[in-house]
Order: sequence, then C-alpha cells, then structure tokens
Amino acid sequence: MTKKEKFKELLKKDYVLLDGAMGTMLQAAGMKVGETPEMLNITNPELIESIHEKYFFAGSDIVYANTFGGNEYKLEECGHSVEELVTAGIKLAIKARDKVKPEGLVALDLGPIGILLEPTGVLSFEAAYDMYARCVKAGAAAGADLVVFETMTDLLDLKAAVLAARENSDLPILTTMTFEQNLRTFTGCSISAFGLTISGLDVDALGINCSLGPKELEPVIKELRKWTNAPLVLKPNAGLPDPKTNLYNVTAKDFALLMKDLRKYGIKIYGGCCGTNPEFIEELSKMLKENGNIKAEPVEVPAAICSATKTCVVNEPRAVGERINPTGKKKFQQALKDRDMDYILGQALEQTSAGADILDVNVGVPGIDEVEMMVDTIKALQSVVDVPLQIDSTDPLVLEAALRVYNGRALVNSVNGEEESLKNILPICKKYGAAVIGLALDEDGIPKKGEDRVKIAKKILDRATSIGIDKKDIYIDCLTLTVSAEQEGARETLKALQTVKNELGLKTILGVSNISFGLPNRVLVNHIFLTMALQAGLDLCIINPNLPEMMGAIRAFKVLACFDENSVDYVAAYANMPQTKIVPVSEAKTAGNNPSASTNINLQEKKGNYELSDLAYAVKKGLKSEGAAVTRELLTKMDSMDIVNKSLIPALDEIGVEFEKGTLFLPQLIMAASVASEAFDVIKETLNKDSDETVSKGKIVIATVKGDVHDIGKNIVKVLLENYGYEVIDLGKDVPYEDVVNAIRDNDVHLCGLSALMTTTLVSMKETIQLIRENNLDCKVMVGGAVLTSEYAKEIDADFYAADAKESVDIAKRVLG
Amino acid sequence: MKNIILDKIDKSEALRYLGYRNTKIDDTLLAMIDECEEEVRKLASPRYIYKVFDFSETSEGITFSNTNLTLKGNSIKNHLANCEKAVAMAVTIGEGIDRNIRILSHTNLAKSVVFDAFSSAAIEQVCNKVEDIIREEFKEYKMTFRFGIGYGDLPLSHQKDFVKVLDATKKIGITVGNSHMMIPTKSVTAIIGLSKEEIKKANRNCADCNLMGNCNILKSGNHCY
Repeated sequence: MTKKEKFKELLKKDYVLLDGAMGTMLQAAGMKVGETPEMLNITNPELIESIHEKYFFAGSDIVYANTFGGNEYKLEECGHSVEELVTAGIKLAIKARDKVKPEGLVALDLGPIGILLEPTGVLSFEAAYDMYARCVKAGAAAGADLVVFETMTDLLDLKAAVLAARENSDLPILTTMTFEQNLRTFTGCSISAFGLTISGLDVDALGINCSLGPKELEPVIKELRKWTNAPLVLKPNAGLPDPKTNLYNVTAKDFALLMKDLRKYGIKIYGGCCGTNPEFIEELSKMLKENGNIKAEPVEVPAAICSATKTCVVNEPRAVGERINPTGKKKFQQALKDRDMDYILGQALEQTSAGADILDVNVGVPGIDEVEMMVDTIKALQSVVDVPLQIDSTDPLVLEAALRVYNGRALVNSVNGEEESLKNILPICKKYGAAVIGLALDEDGIPKKGEDRVKIAKKILDRATSIGIDKKDIYIDCLTLTVSAEQEGARETLKALQTVKNELGLKTILGVSNISFGLPNRVLVNHIFLTMALQAGLDLCIINPNLPEMMGAIRAFKVLACFDENSVDYVAAYANMPQTKIVPVSEAKTAGNNPSASTNINLQEKKGNYELSDLAYAVKKGLKSEGAAVTRELLTKMDSMDIVNKSLIPALDEIGVEFEKGTLFLPQLIMAASVASEAFDVIKETLNKDSDETVSKGKIVIATVKGDVHDIGKNIVKVLLENYGYEVIDLGKDVPYEDVVNAIRDNDVHLCGLSALMTTTLVSMKETIQLIRENNLDCKVMVGGAVLTSEYAKEIDADFYAADAKESVDIAKRVLG
Repeated sequence: MKNIILDKIDKSEALRYLGYRNTKIDDTLLAMIDECEEEVRKLASPRYIYKVFDFSETSEGITFSNTNLTLKGNSIKNHLANCEKAVAMAVTIGEGIDRNIRILSHTNLAKSVVFDAFSSAAIEQVCNKVEDIIREEFKEYKMTFRFGIGYGDLPLSHQKDFVKVLDATKKIGITVGNSHMMIPTKSVTAIIGLSKEEIKKANRNCADCNLMGNCNILKSGNHCY
C-alpha cells in the first residue's frame, strides 16, 4: 500500500485525531523563548520522543514531527542543516510511533518559511518552492507518512509549498491556514480563496489551525465548508491567551465540549494547536468516542475563480476586461517589447476602476519570450490588482508557467475542440485546478451553424469531465462573427449560446467587440449585441470596460433581470454621475478627458485659446488633465520643442528652485512633475505619429538596491528625470547586483542611479557599485536615500550624492547634458 | 488583547515627515491630504504584541531572562539603566497599507508619498496607544521612551531574533527579510524600560539617532518626537 492509499484508508474511519501543541510542551519543559525548537531533535531527543509518545497514548492517529521551522531560512544560524534536523525529527516521531501505536502516522510538519513572498516581501515564488522542496525531500527520505503545511497565511506561499510536496514526493498532503476573526489571514487571503485554490491543487485534506479557540473559529470553519468538499481539518488553540500570563483560557474538558458543537460542519480530522497538550487530545478522543462524529454532506461549491483576496462567483453576469492584449495595438506591442510594465499595469488599473470583475491577460507578440513575459506580467498584475485573471494563450507552456505562479484560481483562455488542444491544455487546467474556457471551434474552423458549435461544446465538456475537471468550471465561448460580413452570424451565436447554457448546463463567455467590425459607431452595435447575449444567458462578458456604454449595459441588465437586488450596484455606480452636457464637437476636442474637480476656472474659461504660460500654470498648480489638454491644443499651433523648452522646462526649473528654498514641499514637486509627464506623453504621441524623432537626452538606469523594497524615492527620481527628457530604465526594487551591471552594459548607459533606505542595505549599494567598477563600465553612479550622506557616498565609491530628487536632475544635466 | 482603533491621524505630523514648512497649500493638495488621512485609517489593521522580561546586564549588552536574546551595545544598556524590567513590543498596521502604496505609485505618485507619510503617522499613533495600554498595566512603574531596534548602537541585525522572541510572525504577521527589514513595512519593534524610580532621560533625542546630520525633518526645522 502506498502512503497515499494508507492515508485514504485512515480517512475511512469515522474521525481522525491529530496531536496537540509541540511548542507549548517544549516551553513547559523549560525551552527558552526564541530558541530554535528543531535543535532539540539533536540536543534533547528524549524530550521530543516522550512528547510524541504522550500524544499517541492520548489517542492521536497522526503526530506532527518537530520540524515546523525546519527550513533553511529559519535554521540559518543554528549550525545544522535542514537535512540533519528534519531527519532527526522524523526519526524521533517514528521511534515513538513504533513503540506506542504502530498503525499511527508520522507527519513532516512545515510552517511558513518566515519571510514574506513578493510582491510585498522579497522572497520569490521560485525560491520559496525550492526551500519547501528541500524540506520535503529530507522528510520523505527519513520516512514521513505525510506532509503537513500549517499556520500558513499567504496563499501563494502555500501554493508553492503544495507544488513542492507534490512534485518532490508521493506523500499525501494535509494543509491548514490561519485566519483571524475578520475571516482573513494576515496577508488578506479569504477563506473562499483558500478553499477554491487549494482544493483545486488536489490536496488530501485541508482546514484551519491556530490563532483562535474553537468557539471563535466556528464562523471560519463554517465558511470553509461552503468552498470545498475535501476532508476538513480543525486544530484550534486552547482559546485565547491572557495578555499578562500568556496562558490560554480554555480547559481540556471545555475544549472537547466546544469541539463537540463543531462536528456539525462535517470535520474529519481533529486536533489542537497552541496551548493544548495530551490532556486535550485525550478529552477530544473521549468526546468523539462517546458521541461519534457527524458525517460531512457533500456541498455544492459555487462556480468561481479568485485571487487570494477577491473571489468572483459566476452566479450573475460578470465583466471581463479585454484591454491587456497587444492584438492590433501598436503601443501595447511596443510596451511588451520594451518590458514597460508600468504601461500594462496602467491598462489593468484603468479597467478595474471602470468596473471589470476579471481581467483577460494576453501578452503574445512575435519576437518576445512569451513564457517569461507572461510570468512577469502575472506577478506584476497581482501586485496591484485584486480581481482574478483570465490567462490568455494558446501555448501550453505559457499557460502552465502562468498557472504555477498565479496567486489564486485562474480561468484559462482557452481550449478548443481540436485534438491537439484538448490533449495538451485540459491536463494543465486539471493539475492547477483552473477553470477553463472552451472555444466552439475545431480542426475545421468555426461551424456556421449554431448546433454544430454546440456539438463541439459537448465534446469539450466530455473530455474535460473525463479527466476530472468539474462541469461547473467549464465556460463555453460560442464565438462572435463580424455581422457586416455575415449577417446571420449573430443569430447563430446567440442560438448556440442559449443551447449550451440551457441544455448542456454550462456557463458561457463571449467576446462581443468583433461583432461590429467594419461598421460605423461600433459601440452602439457592440452594446446592443451584448444586451442580446445577456438576455440569451451570457455569464462572462469580454468587453472594453472603459466604454461607459458597455459597463452600462451589464449594470442595467443586472437591475432589469433581478440580479442587482434593490439596484444597489447600479445606484453606487451612477448616483454621483455628473449631468450629461451636450458639448459641441469643436470644444470637446480641447476640453480634455475628465477635467478634475479642481479645474481652474481661468483655464476652463479660455476654452482652447491657450498660450505657453497656461501650460506652465497647469504644471505649477498640479493640474494633470488640464496640462494634457493644453498641450494638445498648443501642439496644433506650435513646434513641440518650443513647448518643451519655453514652457515645460522653465516651469519645472522654477518649481525645483522653490522646492530647494522650501517654499514648496515634496508632494507639490511630484504633482508638478506628474503634470509635466502627462504633457510629455502627449508630445511623444504626436512625435511618434509624425516621425521617428525622439526627445531622449540620454539613458539612465535606476534601481533600489538588493534587499531593499522602499522604492518611493526612486519612483520620484524617475518621474523627474523623465521630465527633463532622459530615458529612464527602471529596474525596480530589490535588484540583484548583476542586473544593474547587465542593464548598463546592454543599453550602453553612462549614468546610473541607486537608492537605498536602510542602513543595512547600504552594503548592497556598495557591492553594486563595486561590481560596476569591476566590469570597467563607462558609467557614473549617483546615489541617494534617507540614511545616505555625501561622506558615505564617497566612501562607497559613488561619483555623486543626490540629496533629493531635484539634485538627481542637476547631476544628470552635468553628466549627460 | 484590546482592539486598537485609530483616531484621526495628526496631519501636521504627517506633513512634517514630508518636510513641510508652513507654506501655502492649494485645494487640490488639501483634498488629497484629507483623502489619505481617511484611507489610511480605513486600510490600516493595527495589531500589537508585547512581553515583559526581567533582564541582566552583561559586558556585551542586555540579556532577557528565559530567552536566548542578548541585545548588544551601550545604547540599550544606558536606556535600561536603573530599570527593573523591560517590555519588548512589536506593532504593525498590516500589509494592506503596503499594497495601497504600491498601487498608488502606479496611479498617483504624489498621493503615494502623502499616503506613505500618513501611514507612518498612523503607526506612531498605534505605538502611543500600545504604550498607554502598557502604562495602564504597570501603573506602579515609570516608563522610558520606546527604544527601537537599530537605534543608537543597537544593531538592526537583532530584528529577526527579537521578532522570534515575541512570536510576532505568528501572532501579528510581522516577518523579517534578509536585510533585517520588517514586512509589512509599517511595523515597529521597540524596548521600553520599567522603573520604580524617576527616569532621567525620558525622551528620545537626536543625538542617539542614526539619521543625525542627515535628517530631512530636522533640516525643515522639526523633529520626529
């Protein structure tokens, strides 16, 4: 019998008992606070073994070996390797098991690494995976019967851990996360996201441990039950600790009594966390023996996809933003080639603020490494948006790479009826628990008739369910054809959609924008077609959410079809909408888009008769949209370089002087710089249209050094340098030394700016500079950051010290002109 | 553990962090400042933990009883001179703040800077509230000011062990990265001395601070305490 089968066998019992706390027992035995508990596997093996024995005697079926912190980060300074301490820990538990309860199981117990993952932290997904893999390999080799991940608070960290366990051992996996009273983990992960994502990874059991007592965890376990059919685990603390004595407030008897009430949630595996001891397990065992367990009834988990923080349940029409896609967009294609992540993030944030529930992500453009680009994009997107993502590619390698690092449960776009596609893509969706879109086309293209598209949908459904993908996780796209080319096409699409929805019982998705190709006033056709599709039963609407008519159609439909109860969402979206004014086209052109609330009367009244001084005024006052509008108008009557040299630069210089004098402070400097940025963007757009002329005065590489994540200062410097016409290559934060060197060399750069905020990361700054010098690069280095001084800058061999963002511009002028 | 709810955040303090010197601010910026004040309060989730220790002084520094933690240097010795007990505390306002700063740095850079300053003022406020809770619990003692890890000659490299002694990762979600930096970034660790006697140097001062000679707040004519 394999270990997985053995575990499944154990789960056939009415209930399974875990152990109680290890740390509590060790402290009671005199372990000093702050000591590394895993060291005791070597220094005091008798103690560890005796604790395991006590738990087995008390009734535990499974004990957790003393390996919770057994990863290379936590063991860094203890003088022993992961392998030594994990092996010793597992062996001790096995010894106790063999002595007391030969049929018992020994778990390799692993907690979080202890460093937060990117984007908030500095540990990469890949590095976390490697650390867990090392522990798992050691534990499996030492004879563990299962792997436990517990006290997890970061969903992506847990995902890395589960994948590491699955891909480096054949052991069953039990995992528990730790939630607070607000039903979230410290990193904001929701219970639904945990249930959906981790059940999808096919673990053997999942549940809750630590943080609170049984009573306080009732709402948590109740909520988790709704989102998974996996065997449930509950391992609460012995109540809450007294802040003065640090003792927990629930006795062993009360603990068992409270747990008795929670049986109704269909828990399979019971245990105790902080503050519990063998007495608790004994009482728990007695309670379960006397009363029996209550069997879990299967639940209908809602059709949903999620990020760690936001779950999108598809029980009503949802908007999928289509804008992250380079097809037919020159600017987007260029951004991908330049790895301009800011541009892509801008596209994402614009759509979510317009109301998109899900974002489609397509980064396929010839000449780039799509796998790498997709992984980087997913990571970057998830650092700023919380809506779930729809990963859009036909390449299985791209899909798999994206699904690995995706934090949550994604939607894959897409599989189709072709054999090649079914064979390659469905198993990937299954492996990562993703939902999948099926396109109703096959080797012969898109069938003309609706009923033939339904046949393909049926084929996709059968193939997907045959490998274990749940029916509710399949979304069929019946495909939109261009109505100006094939007028009956729209009707066929809607007919197919209706049948797929009502007869196959599947969810549907549709990109509507294609419908209007070749027609004038496309938005009108698009939003009427969208309305028709909604009426036919469309669930996921792939649209441009930035167009008010498109989001409006969905919102209004939801009111009329009784999805939006009491019109709450509709009112929230439109209650503060300004009265529509009819603006003559001639004025609309120069009025700019959404002038901000603080629009200066002076500029508005001018209605387009702008002068250079107006732009300077907008910059100085921080009026962003006005700045862009004025620039646009000025470009119709004068040379772009005149605008830059006679208005923008003098205005920025003036602001800079005021900042130095202290009559303006930092936010005002940045606001002015941001207006100038907008103006430059407008100018660049015009220039690109006319010619290949560029306004670059030279390239500058900037980075926040390795180990440091404080990048606000660097971001300010970037905007200012760009204002003065420098092309900034921003490497981001926590940047490895070599990356800086490579960027300088590859782009032939002669000025590099490094920032660091902490005294401890100044060392990284020094190392980076050293590496630049060692490589004999013809590149000056300027440095800045809160704790830096000009003396220290000299000491670490920097060429310049910039006390603030303004000074970095002065330096750039000196070096690059 | 008592829940901490943020009061209105001190605007002048936040602006001071930004180097503000009583110049005129126009309406756009004023509105942004008010927005940030509100949003920080909405997104912050204040959490704290503290433990009280007996301690002994060694040639190296200060050792907390029943722990393996020795805080090195003279600054901490001076700080705890004549004290009977030491309180180790850790405070955070959570990762949501970091996330929002990140988002704002893409959508509105000026606002990200203002929001960051209000977050700093918010964590300061939470620290003060935690101090009040400690003061309430140890009424019979006088308290020193909060001595931060990394302050004076107390090495920042203690951060990881200090967080471990408080079990602050598990209890309140503070982690320590490779360069001893705490994440969430708006987190504070500190040591407070408790003494039955009157405490002489009861306030923080610039002389012990690592930013001395390079401090923007001081340059703008203010100080941070």
